[in-house]
Amino acid sequence: MNNNLSSSPTFLALFQLVVTTIGATMACLGALYYLRRVRLERPAIGRFNGRDVVFLFTFLVVLPGLYLFLPQWALTTVLAITFTAALSIGFRPILPPTALWVGIGALIGADLWMGQRMINDVANWHYVWAENSLVVLLAAISVANLYVQGGMQLRHMAWFAAGLAIYDSVFTIIWPVSNLLIRAFVNHPLFPAMGMRIHFDEAIVGLGDLLVYAGYTIAAVKAYGRPGLRTALSLVLIFGAAMPTLSGLVINFVDSRLDVVIPAQTYFGPAALLGYLWLRHHYGRERTMKEYLASLNTEHPNPPTTPTIPEEPKLESEPVVA
Amino acid sequence: MLETGVRQLRMALAMVWGRRLNTGNLARLVADCLATLEEFGEPGADAGEVIDGPLADPAARLDFATRGLRRTAVRLAAQSPFYARRFAAAGVNPGRLDPAGLHAIPVTVKQDLIQRPDDFQCADVSRYLATRTTGTTGRPAEIWLSRYEMELWSAMGALAGVLRGELMPDDVLQVNVSSRATGSVHLNVAGCRLVGAACRVLGIVPPDEALDSLTQQGATQLTTSASYLGELETAARRRGMGPNDFQLRSIDVGGEVLSTSLAAAARDTFGVTIIRDLYAMTEVVPVFGRTCTQGHLHFDINMGLVEYLDPHTGQPAEPGALATVVATPFFPYRDCTPVFRYDTRDVVRRLPDETLTCEVAALPGTGPIEGKADGLLHLGPHDVVTPRQLIEAIEALPTRPWPARYKATVHDGHLGLTVPASTVSGLNDADVARHFTDRGLEVTLTLVDDDEATTLRPVRADLHETTFVARPALIGA
Repeated sequence: MNNNLSSSPTFLALFQLVVTTIGATMACLGALYYLRRVRLERPAIGRFNGRDVVFLFTFLVVLPGLYLFLPQWALTTVLAITFTAALSIGFRPILPPTALWVGIGALIGADLWMGQRMINDVANWHYVWAENSLVVLLAAISVANLYVQGGMQLRHMAWFAAGLAIYDSVFTIIWPVSNLLIRAFVNHPLFPAMGMRIHFDEAIVGLGDLLVYAGYTIAAVKAYGRPGLRTALSLVLIFGAAMPTLSGLVINFVDSRLDVVIPAQTYFGPAALLGYLWLRHHYGRERTMKEYLASLNTEHPNPPTTPTIPEEPKLESEPVVA
Repeated sequence: MLETGVRQLRMALAMVWGRRLNTGNLARLVADCLATLEEFGEPGADAGEVIDGPLADPAARLDFATRGLRRTAVRLAAQSPFYARRFAAAGVNPGRLDPAGLHAIPVTVKQDLIQRPDDFQCADVSRYLATRTTGTTGRPAEIWLSRYEMELWSAMGALAGVLRGELMPDDVLQVNVSSRATGSVHLNVAGCRLVGAACRVLGIVPPDEALDSLTQQGATQLTTSASYLGELETAARRRGMGPNDFQLRSIDVGGEVLSTSLAAAARDTFGVTIIRDLYAMTEVVPVFGRTCTQGHLHFDINMGLVEYLDPHTGQPAEPGALATVVATPFFPYRDCTPVFRYDTRDVVRRLPDETLTCEVAALPGTGPIEGKADGLLHLGPHDVVTPRQLIEAIEALPTRPWPARYKATVHDGHLGLTVPASTVSGLNDADVARHFTDRGLEVTLTLVDDDEATTLRPVRADLHETTFVARPALIGA
């Protein structure tokens, strides 16, 4: 047992690497599993386009600033509403209403209770983080699918990640808004991150990062199939998980006075953009959602078919067996 | 997706508040719809509500109709000289009207439009395009349309067409309606422009030219009248043409009674499964009706109120009875020369008070158009023969006399029918009598020379247009 409150930088980096790798892999594969099996409801008209990405990006830029000005009760309320909405969107197609709302209530309620009642004992933090991570993981899977099944393309996701790279760099290294945000969230319920704790050491991967990794992966699968999946997972693991943690270790090794924290998107954003350009160069234009679903039917010749909309106006989204 | 949501919200709010819709916004929604289909292959689950509105609930329907009526009447009282006088004479408060109290206002008839066309024009709207009725039922009436109306109707038509999969960017629409039907032609052209489809306006040219155009230049959609479809069908059969000669995927027919035998024959010859029998009338545009797979006529209830009145008493018709269609297009869907309670004199049979089971069951339905009220033949107090009955019977003859030409008279409760000789050529009298008897008609036939056919029953196909390819030889010959 380590009685020292501060572990070595190497241990912390490896710990962070493990947590990020596990979190990112679970989010990516979970979102992919969902994409192949569940069809989300979508509006009668509309698909995700470039202007939606700009709107979303602007929203994400402004939102953290608002979080910093909110009192804690308001911040917790906003987070509870956000997670409830994300979970209800994602799991409405696969759960009956009663099970859906009982499940969401239990998850959010447990997070709120545990985040206030079980954080005084270091040993209990395992459970707090496990429960919170489950909420965050399910939310990331839901929202990533909402975007991609709504028509968001790999192109959009790549540019979104590239934009986040600039945003994260600026607001972590120059104006440490991200650090302030972590302080606002820490030790409170519904922390928007997956994490793990070993004694006094804590490693986390944020919801935003998970969302980008999961979204990028399933957008790549939708667009290019297996080559897209291979490329996306490789980029996520190398530039999303390994590089941000290990590069900090290397930089701090070179000059320990720097104590640099490199935000994940700083590496992943440019890599995601280059990965998209490479895929487009080699495999041509992206597939549409229609073409992706047709490819699923080719892989599995006799899946339960979803009736076309005009014949079944009251159709609700339902699972599709892959 | 977010901006599409904003556009839909803008459209919905304009509809709810009764304000003019932004036609540019609608055009962009059509583009959004095309992008949706490109990505997903079909619209989302709520597409039906976008097109037909969420008005399946009768109470919501009544509330919507009441608000539409009041909004329209208030505007007409202020802007339309004809209706300002009419409402004042009826002593009604336009702002307190409701469907139950409409009978206080006399119906508007075609003669009103012909005699005082300028009185119908609203003072706050500029005229853009005049369109006339074809005049097959008498002197034509002229309707002025505003630029807003033309942009609105084409955008709403394109939106509905794309959402229903009826008009797509890879379609080629051939329009065989009278070139003088400027409103209809304009809407077809503008609708195709918004969707990105190709449009070929031919008019009522000689049928062989229309067939050549259909076959050689690959039209996928055809818009025409029932009588011209009959001429096309006859010409195609004469030339030995069949489904393999055409790329059509649907045919839209409107303005006349389409018989089941002609529709079936056209399906076989042109290789289409869908023939949409639409109801549209220049005077009451944009109140349209469409026919479902069970043969009901369903009027759109978002753009206007449709009443079904007894053709003789003017009182609401009972279920199962014949009724004349009286339409009131709502503001903001009609704004230049609007009509209020316009009696179309088009007769339908009301359906029994039973729940509908067709694919358009959310909209009220009637039987198909039976013909004009003036064409009803009263053989006795309760024995009425409609033009549809006659057209169905004649067009079902083995001679395939499309379009049906006839003149019907009643003497002492007995039906007399004058038809061209070719209509029954090769059939003996007994077969002909049995044919009509099987269809509930006891008729005395009179045959005339085929040259007189067009004088018996004028149809839209008679409005033939001259071309250099098939120029009539009567001028200076």
